[in-house]
Amino acid sequence: MKTGLFGLVIFDRGIAMGNMKKRLNRLLHSDRQKPSIAAPGKDPQTEIHLSEDLNENLKLLQTVYADCSDVILHQFLIGEQTKALLAYIDGLTNLEEADQHVLAPLQQNIDAEHTLPNIRKKVAVSSIKDVRTVADIIAEVSGGNPVLLMDGQNQGLAFALSKFEKRGIEEPISESVLRGPREGFVETLRINTSMLRRKLRSPNLKIKPMNIGIYSRTPIAIAYIEGIADPGLIQEVTSRLQRIEVDGILGSAAVEELIEDNPYSPFPQLLSTERPDVASAYLLEGHVVVLVDGTPSALIAPVTIVSLLQSPDDYSERYFVGSAIRWLRYIFLFISLLGPSFYVAAVTFHQEMLPTALLLTMAKSREQVPFPALIEALIMETVFEALREAGARLPKQIGQAVSIVGALVIGQAAIAAGIASSPMVLAVAVTGVASFMAPRFTVGIAMRLLRYPMMFLAGFLGLLGLILGVIVILYHLLTLRSFGVPYMSPLAPLKRNDLKDVLWRAPRWKMNTRPHLTGEWNQYRQAPGQQPHPPKGNGEG
Amino acid sequence: MDTTKRKTVLLLLFFSIHSLLLAGCWDRTEVNDLAIITAAGIDLTEDRYPELSVNIYVTSQSGTGGQQIGGMSDSSGGGANVSVVRSAPGLTLADATSKLQRMLPRKVFWGHDEVFIFGERLAKQGIGEPIEFLTRHPAPRERGNVFVSKGLAKDVLMLPPSIERTIADKLREVAKSQTGLNITLKELAQMMAGKSKAAIVPWLEIQPGFKNQTPFPFIMGSAVLKNGKMVGRINEYATRGVMWLRNEINLATITFSPKNTQGYVSFELKKSSTALVPHIDGDNWSITARIETLNDIVENTTDLNLMEPNNVKELETELGNDIEHRMKLALTKAQNMNADIFGFADAFYRKYPKAWKRAQDRWDEIFPKLKVKLETRTVISRPGMTGKSIIKPE
Repeated sequence: MKTGLFGLVIFDRGIAMGNMKKRLNRLLHSDRQKPSIAAPGKDPQTEIHLSEDLNENLKLLQTVYADCSDVILHQFLIGEQTKALLAYIDGLTNLEEADQHVLAPLQQNIDAEHTLPNIRKKVAVSSIKDVRTVADIIAEVSGGNPVLLMDGQNQGLAFALSKFEKRGIEEPISESVLRGPREGFVETLRINTSMLRRKLRSPNLKIKPMNIGIYSRTPIAIAYIEGIADPGLIQEVTSRLQRIEVDGILGSAAVEELIEDNPYSPFPQLLSTERPDVASAYLLEGHVVVLVDGTPSALIAPVTIVSLLQSPDDYSERYFVGSAIRWLRYIFLFISLLGPSFYVAAVTFHQEMLPTALLLTMAKSREQVPFPALIEALIMETVFEALREAGARLPKQIGQAVSIVGALVIGQAAIAAGIASSPMVLAVAVTGVASFMAPRFTVGIAMRLLRYPMMFLAGFLGLLGLILGVIVILYHLLTLRSFGVPYMSPLAPLKRNDLKDVLWRAPRWKMNTRPHLTGEWNQYRQAPGQQPHPPKGNGEG
Repeated sequence: MDTTKRKTVLLLLFFSIHSLLLAGCWDRTEVNDLAIITAAGIDLTEDRYPELSVNIYVTSQSGTGGQQIGGMSDSSGGGANVSVVRSAPGLTLADATSKLQRMLPRKVFWGHDEVFIFGERLAKQGIGEPIEFLTRHPAPRERGNVFVSKGLAKDVLMLPPSIERTIADKLREVAKSQTGLNITLKELAQMMAGKSKAAIVPWLEIQPGFKNQTPFPFIMGSAVLKNGKMVGRINEYATRGVMWLRNEINLATITFSPKNTQGYVSFELKKSSTALVPHIDGDNWSITARIETLNDIVENTTDLNLMEPNNVKELETELGNDIEHRMKLALTKAQNMNADIFGFADAFYRKYPKAWKRAQDRWDEIFPKLKVKLETRTVISRPGMTGKSIIKPE
């Protein structure tokens, strides 16, 4: 590390520096002791195998589920002889079905010997699993599946009869489109996987299950298409997910923060989408989708800065329109980052850069403003951000009131009160619009955040500072990777073939190849010559 | 990255951010701390020192008072667009600028000075010194327009900017309209430093307003400078000839009365290009000016039938003659003043660099006797939207 070397050279100089060096070393090496949180392992007792004595098993479950009022341990007799136990969680299990298809047939007389295989035959449930340990029982019961234990058997049966209240499929709120599907992911993992499966029916769509969180045991699914996704990438995603050891995962944002490449970057390194069609499109390009139960969105890895600037609408409009809108978005991305800082730099350092007529007008409007342009910009930007934040959290009806107040405060009163000049209001307004143009909220907010250091740089060093800031951001973007894929690709490193979805939105019949991510690459996505060639003429020949 | 390294980096980042703050913002100037000069005039005082007058755009609404500092007062008044004129003499222009700064509460800002006017007396004495300052100092715009004014330059600055926002705006727009010369500071400096040391600058006169109208500045021909000193004037008609020869003509309406007819025909210039081709034949120096123009007829008050190709042919020849006449007039004037304002010297230098080197000291002898051959090729592209003149039925 160059900076480190440089620092050492400086601090090694001279004897007078000795004292400082000591202090510095103390500062550098004063690593706090790592907190010795007991390694969150599994409860030892849960590894216990079931015994053949039902009473023992019952005692075990009663200690495990002590003080759990929602866990029901229902005891009954199979065929009026063998003692049995049905364990389930009230509210998660479809009781009607359990009564009808499990309890009812078993409580009748059974001629055959009371062994598990025979019991299986009697029960009219399509999916039945064997359970052997307490841990298995806990996993099944928590998932809503009732578990049957019986005397004389050291195994039990779990029936897939879970049923709980869930939200219906609705239109995605943060990613609305004009054309294209209107269904969005919901909180339930199973429904989300079913939406993916409905779009990609090939058995090559693999959905690997996983549970994360010591207490939450959140179900997670890793979806990919075998033969398209790079096995190394799948391995990487899986291993990053496996190393998570936290108490609970309550949303996909937590997963995102725990598996991304650079945790200090302001830029998102996973794409979060509410739309199954977007997730499917990425699956077809060889990405891996991580679905987290409890969050109505999917995480897509890897992503590039370019893919974060694409909107599903680009693909549903005609490709001329899609390309034009994409360029508009690129331009406004720069405005959202540099708008106010460029204004500050021009007004405080480079007045000769502005057209004369504009400068005269601007000078006139700035006449009453008591603050330097930098302070003025900071005030206005902060007020704008506050208004946006206030409006975002409020219900729609009150949100409108906020926007009216905002329009008055920012638009008129600030000028009349002499706090801001009208060109500054314009600059802030245009920048605000620009930041809303980012199709992904996460990118827009990253740009908004970076705007502040840029404004300071512009206020202190003018255009020089502005360029310095851009260089630093660019440097960061160029070194950033998302699951091994350079964040700026296919621009840097340049992959000429992949520019068809960057510089413009190529028509479908031109998108013959998939973008290259990492490792193995299933290059061709369609047969060549998909461009339509309808026969010319009057159709009679 | 282990913790130690990360801490080192963070510490260094912390220090470097503070060094950024140490740099401060000394160069920072808010727009409302600037005295924006829109036009500058340079005169010669009675005791032969340069005097700098500047027209400053008043941005504050309350500043319409027009205080009398340095004997100068403000102009227009009342309207939204107000400017004040301040002037200060100095040993040099730089000195005058610093004296001017003392009179102003705001920082003198040259960045938007679009017009430089030299007073007649200064022009006759020589504009070398002011040009030296204006080209060396980084702030004044080299694309600003230059003028020489009859009388004092500061009188022009004090005129009200009728129609336009500032007087500078007005002068610049007039120069840009291409009916007269449009010479920028850069072009002037180039001409003065060129092989011929001769320059041409538009000549400003103040037109007194008729009745209760305000007086306004007007470009009346041009001033000819030799070695930085004004040696004479060329009237408007001949200035057009200079522009033809300098390949600077863009907008022209030429009206003349064709032979054997009554009334006039007016032409509008569409396109024109001039090429200078120098020749040296022994001691015989000559130059050929090839002019090609494309014109439209926009008015015809004669009996000529313009649908008749022969008539058009005839008009083309006569148009060429008229253009040549203007150029000859300009040539005679320039040769009499011995000021090569057409860039002939540069043309010779480019084609015959060796011969030029030998003869460059004799250029002042060669130029007045230089033979200039004019080859004009005029084309009338459109005779207009009507055929025969509708007001002269046969």
